[in-house]
Amino acid sequence: MSGFVRRRPFSTLLLLLLIAMLGWIWQERVALWAFPDIISAYTAKEYCSCRYVMNNDAAYCRGYVKQWLPFSGFSDDEASKHVTVSGMGRSNSASWVGERQGCRLVP
Amino acid sequence: MFKGLSLFFILLLSLSAHAETWPAEQWSQGPKITGPALESLETYAFPTRDDSTRKGIRTDALLVIRDGQLIYERYAGPTSADTPHLTWSISKSLMATVLGVAYGEGLFSLQDPAVKFYPALENHPAITLADLLHWASGLDWQEDYEYAPLKSSVVAMLYTLGHGNMAAFTAGHDEYAAPGQAFRYSSGDSNLLSAALKNIVGPRRYPDYPWTALFEPLGIRHAVWETDATGTFVASSYAYLTARDLARIGLLMARDGRWGDRQLLPKDWVAFNRKPFAGYRAHQDTAVPGGQWWLNRAVDGAAQPWPDAPADTFAALGHWGQALYVIPSENLVIVRYADDRDGSYQHNELLKRALKAFAGKVQP
Repeated sequence: MSGFVRRRPFSTLLLLLLIAMLGWIWQERVALWAFPDIISAYTAKEYCSCRYVMNNDAAYCRGYVKQWLPFSGFSDDEASKHVTVSGMGRSNSASWVGERQGCRLVP
Repeated sequence: MFKGLSLFFILLLSLSAHAETWPAEQWSQGPKITGPALESLETYAFPTRDDSTRKGIRTDALLVIRDGQLIYERYAGPTSADTPHLTWSISKSLMATVLGVAYGEGLFSLQDPAVKFYPALENHPAITLADLLHWASGLDWQEDYEYAPLKSSVVAMLYTLGHGNMAAFTAGHDEYAAPGQAFRYSSGDSNLLSAALKNIVGPRRYPDYPWTALFEPLGIRHAVWETDATGTFVASSYAYLTARDLARIGLLMARDGRWGDRQLLPKDWVAFNRKPFAGYRAHQDTAVPGGQWWLNRAVDGAAQPWPDAPADTFAALGHWGQALYVIPSENLVIVRYADDRDGSYQHNELLKRALKAFAGKVQP
């Protein structure tokens, strides 16, 4: 073992880094799996509320929800007040529920 | 005769000093303020707005109530007097105010364990309702967003792992400190309060309770409060009110929980809201936490967070510059809505300029 370390110091270092990274990924697997949902869920929910709770116009709300991460698909069905956004390989929707309850992410 | 007349005038003076103005369906208009102090305030609050870069101070609404009358109001961007604006974390102080009405009904005491009303807290039986109100549950919560999205508890709660049941998501966190000992600002703690309220008032009354208990008595007609999928109000973030309606909450708080001749919130409840949490250490946050409200108090060896405002100033504060300031000693309530995307805006600067423009003009 110590012979391997002396003969291949860089490979050893890389191997250790890889193991540490896999350990970190395992430890954070739940948060990492959820992470790509953030941008589409955030955009769908806050756009829905901007548009149908605060009653701002569509162009303003598109700017209002803009973040540093881009989203790819966007659809807003004005008749049913249902907003669907996709980005980072995930898709999320929010829907207007009522006068008092406003908008909510669709499970 | 002369003596009698002067007595009459003294009586008249003291009467007018005690005459209180309250809003009816609309706020009554107070005297119009103009002059360089107001211009200085407007220069600060309403610089030219750039919706493409979103840089700098971006006030959506600024509204000032003095002695129960509307004396200043200005809107910008897409916001108008009719816009129920997102309040973000002002919602936390609103939930505390709703809870205050339930407290006045005698439905709970501050030292009650939260698990009594929210059984999902069975792993954290020592957390009391007072601890939650102080943001001192001891739960290992990460409030940072935007800069640490992977580890942010609040982003996960609102948008991913927790959005279906935000209180249960919070209750699933480990403990980092004994409850009631240490301050750590947590949107999770506020949503645990909202979940507890469900059993405090009962699931039948709960869906209408913010309206029946608080909004309707104050004449607030356009409140929206979004819920999670279990119907629990998102007390951390998602209440929407017009600026004029939020000011009504401010007036209620400025007058110690009284609305007209009705003591809607017990005085000791408001006193609890306004008492600094003993476990708070200097500079942990931008202002001093009380019971779900922010205080301008000098504590733990640090100066007042807003040195140019009176020490009795307290506030409800939200993300992106939302603020409801209450200054009882000046009979002032100030609502500010905004869409600040950077850190340019300073509470102290706005308060300083607002006080110069509006304070101490009527009281002798």
